[in-house]
Amino acid sequence: MGQRGGHQESWKKLEISPSEVMKAEEENSKEENKELKSKDCKLLSVFGAADLRNGAVGLYNIGQTCCLNSLLQVFFMNIHFTKILRRIIVPVRATQKMKNVPYQMLLLLEQMQCGKQKAVSPRELAICLVAHRVKLFVQYDAAQLFLTIWNLLKKQLKNPELVGKLSDLYTVCVQEHLACQTCSSETKRNSSMLTLPVPLLDSCSHKLKTLEECLQCFFHPEELTGQNMCFCEHCGKKTPFLQSVKLVHLPQTLTIHLKRFCFGRSAYIHKLSDCLPFPQDLDFNAVLTEQQCEAYDSEKDTWQYELFAVVAHSGSISSGHYCAYIRSLTECKWYCFNDSIVNQVSWDDVKCTYGHSDLSWGQTAYLLFYMKKHPLRSLI
Amino acid sequence: MAQWQEVQQLPPAHLERVHQLYTTTALPMTVRQSLADWIEDQDWQQAAEPFSSHARMLFHSLLALLGEQLGSLGPGDEDFMLKHNLRKARIDLQAAFEEQPENFANLVANLLQEERRILRRAQAKGQLEAPPAPNVAPQSSREQEIQQRLAEFRTTLQEAERAFRHLEDLQDAFDFSYKMYYQPGQDHSRDPEYLQQVQALQAKLQSLDRQRREVVAQLQQLLGRSETLRDFLQQELSAWRDRQQRSCLGAPADTCLLQLQGWFTALGEGLFQLLQLLRGVGELRQKVTYEQDPLQTELPLLEKRLQEQLTCLLQSAFVVEQQPCMPNTPKRPLVLRTANKFCTRARLLVRLHDRNHRMEANIHIDRDPPKTRGFRKFNILTSSSKTVLVGDSPREGLVCDFQYLTLKEQKGGGSGKGSRGTNEGPLAVTEELHLITFTLAYAYCGLELKLETSTLPFVIISNNNQLSSAWASVLWFNMLSPNPKDQQFFSTPPAAPWPKLAEVLSWQFQSTAERGLSREHLHMLAEKLFGSKPSPESALPWTKFSKDGAAGFSFWAWLDRILALLHDHLKQLWKDGLILGFVSRKQEKKLLKVKRTGTFLIRFSESMLGGVTCTWVEHPENGPPAFRAVVPYTSAELASLALPDIIRDYQLLAEENIPENPLLFLYPDTPRDEAFQPYYSQRHEGILTEKKAYLNQRLIRVSSRQPHEMWQTEEDLVVATEDLETLQLKIGGQQPMSLGTVLEGDVTPRILQAESPGQQQVVAVGVGTQQPGPQVPVPPSLQQLGSGGLGVLQSGMGDLGAPVVLKLLQVEPGEQRVLPTGGSAIGPLLGSGASELLLGSSAMGLLPSELGDVERLPLQEPDLGQLEAAELLPTLDDRDVLLDPRDPFLPQPEDVSLPTAATSLFTADCDFPPLQIDASDFQ
Repeated sequence: MGQRGGHQESWKKLEISPSEVMKAEEENSKEENKELKSKDCKLLSVFGAADLRNGAVGLYNIGQTCCLNSLLQVFFMNIHFTKILRRIIVPVRATQKMKNVPYQMLLLLEQMQCGKQKAVSPRELAICLVAHRVKLFVQYDAAQLFLTIWNLLKKQLKNPELVGKLSDLYTVCVQEHLACQTCSSETKRNSSMLTLPVPLLDSCSHKLKTLEECLQCFFHPEELTGQNMCFCEHCGKKTPFLQSVKLVHLPQTLTIHLKRFCFGRSAYIHKLSDCLPFPQDLDFNAVLTEQQCEAYDSEKDTWQYELFAVVAHSGSISSGHYCAYIRSLTECKWYCFNDSIVNQVSWDDVKCTYGHSDLSWGQTAYLLFYMKKHPLRSLI
Repeated sequence: MAQWQEVQQLPPAHLERVHQLYTTTALPMTVRQSLADWIEDQDWQQAAEPFSSHARMLFHSLLALLGEQLGSLGPGDEDFMLKHNLRKARIDLQAAFEEQPENFANLVANLLQEERRILRRAQAKGQLEAPPAPNVAPQSSREQEIQQRLAEFRTTLQEAERAFRHLEDLQDAFDFSYKMYYQPGQDHSRDPEYLQQVQALQAKLQSLDRQRREVVAQLQQLLGRSETLRDFLQQELSAWRDRQQRSCLGAPADTCLLQLQGWFTALGEGLFQLLQLLRGVGELRQKVTYEQDPLQTELPLLEKRLQEQLTCLLQSAFVVEQQPCMPNTPKRPLVLRTANKFCTRARLLVRLHDRNHRMEANIHIDRDPPKTRGFRKFNILTSSSKTVLVGDSPREGLVCDFQYLTLKEQKGGGSGKGSRGTNEGPLAVTEELHLITFTLAYAYCGLELKLETSTLPFVIISNNNQLSSAWASVLWFNMLSPNPKDQQFFSTPPAAPWPKLAEVLSWQFQSTAERGLSREHLHMLAEKLFGSKPSPESALPWTKFSKDGAAGFSFWAWLDRILALLHDHLKQLWKDGLILGFVSRKQEKKLLKVKRTGTFLIRFSESMLGGVTCTWVEHPENGPPAFRAVVPYTSAELASLALPDIIRDYQLLAEENIPENPLLFLYPDTPRDEAFQPYYSQRHEGILTEKKAYLNQRLIRVSSRQPHEMWQTEEDLVVATEDLETLQLKIGGQQPMSLGTVLEGDVTPRILQAESPGQQQVVAVGVGTQQPGPQVPVPPSLQQLGSGGLGVLQSGMGDLGAPVVLKLLQVEPGEQRVLPTGGSAIGPLLGSGASELLLGSSAMGLLPSELGDVERLPLQEPDLGQLEAAELLPTLDDRDVLLDPRDPFLPQPEDVSLPTAATSLFTADCDFPPLQIDASDFQ
């Protein structure tokens, strides 16, 4: 009964605050609903979505799954992602269902949006991931786990159209340049990456002050001299090279990975808890120079981002805790997802994840998710 | 207000939604209505957890309550329907949820949540429509946010504590069942009852595990929130630190710590409570643990994070509330003099302590001294440790107050003063910065910490004449140093950007004379410093500020003497804006040129230290306007005669003219007397009919001008020579007051003078006696005048513009005795140089015996030329020297160099408290 009550509630909300995105979403979900209904009677109530509902729902920690939980929340709160997720082809057989990551994610999403509990348990999904060698009770690195899940999703989506959309949504395209300093011959290579792994220290191990500086450092050309010299085909010998990365395309959801875990002088890995402020609004055109980009102006015009989510880590390298700060795209409010506990927070709380050189156990931002401000323009 | 009540008061549109909500739900609104309070008081969320025993209990309580309600209802018509509805609801509920009370709990929890959501939306809408409520307390948004977050932190903490108690219950229940039923080793595989028990046990363990994870998540969340709060508090604290630093420099700033103390204490309390909670959870783990116990991995992490939080909070909460300061120079803290008392105070803003633990604070000076050559080392005399006082009232806090500290320099290897020359460091004494560090061994709730805080760097001087330049260093450091502990700051002192410097200079005037510098003032100073119009980028190097100066003194020395002058003599005039003060000559001409003759302004001299002067304009019949200014008055002159009085009685003598006061209108055009009326000292105009024993007298200032002197054009300013004159004006003797020379009999003032243009003259004036001074300096003379009037005037003015010295005797009517302290009490008078040493008439000890009975004393002329200051001074025992002991800027008696001391040997008022000075002080 209560479920049905809530059910109506979400309809009401849609009528009250219709935004273009929401309307589109509404229609989509209607269609999908029919589609899904015909295929799977389990998904009876697939309209309304967690990301459209006012409340944010937590996920129980079922064995050091805080990292997984945080990433799942980041996925689920992203309406661009849930749009793709809703269109998946549901596997026919039960064993396939068990092992299908997108399907299990969808189930979990539905569970979150339909149930009226404050939190749900991601048990089935966790079991499904175990089948793909993502173990429980193991502390994962969020960046690594994000990549793993994303690859699993991409592999299991089957539908090439959806795979394309998923790639479009998350991948960054760059062009790697290698220029011989002697004969100025140049080799280019296009490649795509899921995250921008930016360093916190520059080449001289000095601390960088802001995220913008980190990005500049990432795109700064590097000279390969001495031991790092490469073999040049034209010169026929090892010559100094200039290696640089140029930005070609930025996706709708941009993931920046702050390389806080780094090797010290020895093999010992330590965490950098120093303060690194990141902006709410990020304009790549202001950060990068002309030479660091390899894109048309129409593409560059869309490089206006606003912060969407922060996956924060507290603790040390060996043991720690993850939580996610996510800005609801529909409400424009920040939430903190701490496993089963979800709180509405303010930007000041998010700023706390900048880090603090005195607090080695405090929260520090680890993954930053930026969202394009004008998604429509990129389509034109 | 209770939630249900609020719901009922919703506007119709929103109420409709509530009705809609209840039409589709299994809980009838009748039940919600009749048990509203009870329903709202229960924790349905908790009960909704799977396998919760709580749900069953709540469900049955509800049914029982409904039964009670039914029983209590009367037989009335309306009641009949209600009774029916309730009975039906009870039966329906029992049928629907008997088996799964968790579902019922979930249902209620969701309903309540839904209601709250509707309420929130209605409120949000209401707020949009309603005009913003007027803010009663104009608290800053940051303050409000901190308060709000503190309150929220407390409630979340309570929730966590509730969750913890629930966890305890669950664990006890599990523990009991486990011990009761679980019997490993035996083969029970065929006993269905046992298997059922084990299954139930398994379920209990599941729910225990879930609850543990829940509590851990809650604690994680709480810690995350507290980090933000701590961040806020630290921001507020650093804002306070800035305020304190600025207020040290004289800026008006609120440095009260009470609010911060409240906040820090509240957060500290919360965090310590959290620590206890964590320990409680840890104990639960000790009792029951299992494979993959979340507490095993998460607790140590949580504990470390919390301890770090607490350490960080406490460390920052230990602050220096009062920077080191000598009580006799309260407006110039951070300058300490060896062997002088000073005090400093630190406070721990987290007002939590263990009554059984004695907290002791220690202070150290220069714990890590910079390794500069010649850096002086000091010892703190008196005890360097102190038990922290704990006041009970909330206004007090954990304070360590060091009141009577003194510093003593460590002399290395028994070397005396001379040895300093060899190991003299690169820094001057007044540029050497020292630090006092407070340490406090803090222990509370099993947390032991060593807290530490440092004062701002201060300057240690050994002589009061270093005070001014020491203060300059303090200003420069606090204005510019990015690091508040940088003791090496003056090895490469940065230049001060003008806007910053201007602000700090203005504070000096603000704190000394309660009026800061205006834009015009600052403009003039900037022009003086930078030569032209200052740009915002103009910066003044340290040496130019405090060391070099074209006029033989530095900019700061000049300014500081003006400050001293203002403080001592011109405070009120400055405060009321009558002194234009900082006006360049060019500007001055521009201002006065367009004003009528006799318009004057008061400004500070730029060419001499601590001088104030009047400039007036005269428009001759033909030719350009002329500007005249008197030789600046210094504190020496102003001590005998206040500036308003000088202005009132000022006379300009010109040949063939009657002396007249050229000062008519205060710039821009206020008539003189109107402007200065409130500041004139009281005149005791006698009543002619009354018989008086003495004539009244008063001092005025006169300038003279030679007849052949040309009227000066704008380019050359005439410095009118000015002399000290005495005038006998009226009969009157009510007051035993005697200023200057008392003249007997002669009512007409006769002013005699000699002058050489451009030079200051020495004139001693007396009736019938004339000491013209064609040759300079004039040998000083003493005059003994008629009976009833015992007075001596010594006007000793050297050609160097040295201070005028005047000694006054007080005479009481009817008694031929010299006041104030018996016969021989006539102070020493010193001229500008030792060779012009002047003595009062009875200084040789000759007078007293005669004074008692002799009306007319013979003229005495002691051979002053032979007296050297050094010889004379030791004999000054028990003489009255008039200094203002309350004056913090005036050099302390024992440190004063001789000429300066002499300048202050003035008295203008017999009520003035005499100050005893030991002759030994001069040695």
